[in-house]
Amino acid sequence: MMHKQRQRQAVNALIFLGPACIFLLVLLVAPIIVDLVVAFTDMAQTVRVSEFSNEQFRKIIRPNEDTWLGFELRGSFYRALAKTAIFVVFTLTIFNVTFGLLLALTTTALPDWLGGTFRAIWLLPRMSPSVVYALLWIWVIDPTERGLLNQVLINVFGFGPINLFIDHPMAIIVVANGFIGASIGMLILTSAIRSIPQHLFFAARADGAGPLSIVRHIILPTLRWPLSYITVFQSLALMVSFEYIFLIMGPARSTMTMAMLAYTKTLAPQIGSGQYAYGAAITLILIIIGVIVALLLYRLTNMKRLLAKPRIEVH
Amino acid sequence: MALTQRDWNVLARRSRNIRHVQMGLLVGFLTIVSIPVVLPFFWVFVISFSARTGGVESAVLWRACGVLVPAVVAYVVVHLTFDSIRKRLFGAAVLILLVMIGLIVTVGKDLHLHNYRFLANANLIEDLRGAATAGGQFPWVWEAFVNSLLVAASSTLFKVSIATVCGYYLSRFAFYGRSAFLQTLLILEVFHPWMLTIPIFLVIYWIGLLNNLAGPILVLTVIDLPFFIFIMKGFFDAVPWDIEMSAMTDGASRRQAFRHVVLPQVWAGIIAISVLGFIRGWEEYVFVTALRTGNSYWVMSTYLYYVADDVMGVDYGVVAAVSVFYMAPSLLLYMFLQRNLTQLTLGGIKG
Amino acid sequence: MASIELRHVSKHWGPTIAVDRMNLTLEDGEFVAILGPSGCGKSTTLFLLAGIYAPTEGDICFEGARINDVEPRDRNVGIVFQSYALYPNMTVLKNLLFPLRFKNTSNEDAHARAMEIAELVQIEDLLEREPSQLSGGQQQRVALARALIKKPNLLLLDEPLSNLDATLRLTMRSEIKRIQRELAVTTILVTHDQVEATTMADRIICMKDGQIEQVDTAENLYRRPDRIFVASFVGSPPINLVQGRIDKTMLVAGQRRLPVSGNTVSTNVTIGLRPELISTGEQGLPASIVNIEPMGREILYAAQSEIGLLRFLEATPQPRLALEEHVHLKADPGDVLFFDTGSGQRIEGVRLDAFS
Repeated sequence: MMHKQRQRQAVNALIFLGPACIFLLVLLVAPIIVDLVVAFTDMAQTVRVSEFSNEQFRKIIRPNEDTWLGFELRGSFYRALAKTAIFVVFTLTIFNVTFGLLLALTTTALPDWLGGTFRAIWLLPRMSPSVVYALLWIWVIDPTERGLLNQVLINVFGFGPINLFIDHPMAIIVVANGFIGASIGMLILTSAIRSIPQHLFFAARADGAGPLSIVRHIILPTLRWPLSYITVFQSLALMVSFEYIFLIMGPARSTMTMAMLAYTKTLAPQIGSGQYAYGAAITLILIIIGVIVALLLYRLTNMKRLLAKPRIEVH
Repeated sequence: MALTQRDWNVLARRSRNIRHVQMGLLVGFLTIVSIPVVLPFFWVFVISFSARTGGVESAVLWRACGVLVPAVVAYVVVHLTFDSIRKRLFGAAVLILLVMIGLIVTVGKDLHLHNYRFLANANLIEDLRGAATAGGQFPWVWEAFVNSLLVAASSTLFKVSIATVCGYYLSRFAFYGRSAFLQTLLILEVFHPWMLTIPIFLVIYWIGLLNNLAGPILVLTVIDLPFFIFIMKGFFDAVPWDIEMSAMTDGASRRQAFRHVVLPQVWAGIIAISVLGFIRGWEEYVFVTALRTGNSYWVMSTYLYYVADDVMGVDYGVVAAVSVFYMAPSLLLYMFLQRNLTQLTLGGIKG
Repeated sequence: MASIELRHVSKHWGPTIAVDRMNLTLEDGEFVAILGPSGCGKSTTLFLLAGIYAPTEGDICFEGARINDVEPRDRNVGIVFQSYALYPNMTVLKNLLFPLRFKNTSNEDAHARAMEIAELVQIEDLLEREPSQLSGGQQQRVALARALIKKPNLLLLDEPLSNLDATLRLTMRSEIKRIQRELAVTTILVTHDQVEATTMADRIICMKDGQIEQVDTAENLYRRPDRIFVASFVGSPPINLVQGRIDKTMLVAGQRRLPVSGNTVSTNVTIGLRPELISTGEQGLPASIVNIEPMGREILYAAQSEIGLLRFLEATPQPRLALEEHVHLKADPGDVLFFDTGSGQRIEGVRLDAFS
């Protein structure tokens, strides 16, 4: 009897958990380990390893006794790091958090059909394929008079044409990723606002609170956790994302963030040069940042609810 | 503080005014910030139906906007003034009729389907760009379409069924190492495959699936998988224990209880993640290009990418038409199932 | 504030009608209960008065002025919600001070008022706690204090006792009543519990399907219900209702014909008789006991008679009668109520001559 129970338990685990385990192990855990190893090799175009070394990290960091820390970052990596920081900080603060919050607050304050319409519009960029979205951007900011942006500038505001590709390349990728980031923030915050009990709003209105007081005293306090979640999680997502940057800007040096650097040196179509070990080294840095983010995320998770014990004990 | 009738009247008027101003400000703000988002989509749509040859035209766009913007404003006014559904529908019907007439008058003669001839003509792209450019033979668009459908549908099928059974097991079964598994999953959620593009490429290469559609399908299955598992766990957590317990006292095994009693309760979640998964698979670009050398297979994203690359200077209309054709399935799916998508909440976050 | 008036007020939610052309006037300082089953529109009526919902048609008037458009903040009403709706991120004291924040009250005044009101509802010791650290009864008191702190013209209580256990409900019932009398604030209590309504309120509004069935004192609702619904909803155990037909001067019910007098019109009727007004005796309507339900101090019998099934109460702790025993049911014929089965309206001026 005991034996049979044990057996059924094992079969259940295999059926329900097995497929997820295989996929996660082979395509998520194994790559992390592979990356750890490859980062310390000289793997290149031929995908062969001839020796283990820290050569890749010497392309990133150079010992320098004169500096305060005893080392300095190589130019190309330093620039990538700085661009990543600018990209992440601006996109996150302006769009994912601020705009996401504004959109969530304003659309939930409107009647549902109207608020829902605006939310649907803001989800368009996220729901349309990345290549189409990037193509739209390229057309809109076309540096000639044919670009939509330049038409508006010339005809409505009376100046232009401007060439954003040369003048403000970082602004392009911040706004292009920001439209999508704002919609993610909006979705998360909208559902958080929706989960506030209606009676609290009623009580506050009866107590005399106007719209701004309701935002400040009822809504914002409950958004603390979702906002931290967006900040932590989206900063990592932005740090590692390169799809839109690559599709809009191509391998331009002006927008070469860390993730772009790793991608263009290895797998980018037509230009990737297969420096796998170098890419893996940069990836390793991103993985380390990822672990830090995971630990922060850990603190934001309601473990009690996540780990709540099942109430049926048999299998 | 006894208020007189006049005081109340003053208050009523003030409240009415404040409410109108607030509503106006909100709608105004949202309209202004939404224009940059929606206009490009509308533009490419208009181009695909109106561009003749050569450059991008926007005269048609502005004329169409001249008809549509007043119509949208008029509908908002109709919606706000009338309460009954019948009157609103009537208003909408009248406006749609007016818009039709307006569009026929202003842009009617510019509209045509010529740009969509790539759907019927297998060699169109080759003809347009001339045979000299690099990058291999362009296939007929339907080949890329079928491949994309295959990639999106099969990865969604895998992803959703794995997330569903795994989410159920994590939500409902007590087993040794459950907490550890959940916490590991939480950490894995952080590692987006984008971050691991290079090592994933190496793993697929070593398995021997490079230049095979199975590669992107498998990788897409893993993208967002921990996230989907948490979503499904959340949906299962919300199913009352009583119905499962009663199914079991009625003689069902746990597997039967899952199939017949619990699963039907979480359709909303399954539909929602299926839509998200499909849209994600349909748009995939990074891994389909990373996991092939040369043009061993075509999907819609690479098709559009290279059409835009090669034909852009020659014929914008065709590029726009391919774009519209490509995004139509995603957007239609999204529109039909929007209600399901808004039900998603984050698994596990405090709040 | 002298008068609050609903004139022909309706509230529609799409095709469903929550409140249907309601007319109502409230006197100053009155304690009124809205009594009805769930979904009858009683809470909607409350939220209409508070200004949280806007009426679809009709006027809500304070002092004779139409205030449909006045924001809740300007109406000076206090609400206690069923869920209490305490602000989870604020301490009890901050919860109490919240309404004063929007009233230009100075800091000292606000604190003084908070202390005063805390004393009134006896929560002085809890002021620094978070709502999540309070028991249900304590949360209820805080909610009441928060509703009262701004000296509202109108106090609205939305099922305030339904989340409390039985003993606590009893204390809070008299507490709320005491506080209401002390402050003399016009109060509306929404409840589905007739005991709450009858013990606390001066007048009771009985509602069903968005319409007012009867507005009256508890005693009148019990003794002279205007409609079948009121008769069946008020009173516990519920009133006996028996279908019948008036045929000239006879009431035909089941196989029995009973003489009636007064201005009789031949029609289908429902007769109502309270279980507590029936007793047994040597003579009367013959019946046999079919069910016995001990209810503590009393016993509820069900007896099958020729006019139909009748329940009656006997105030003895032990069953005196046995199953299938034959008894004679007695009642004062004047206690029998007649309702028009079609319209549900009570028929006045008809009297049963003998109950046997």
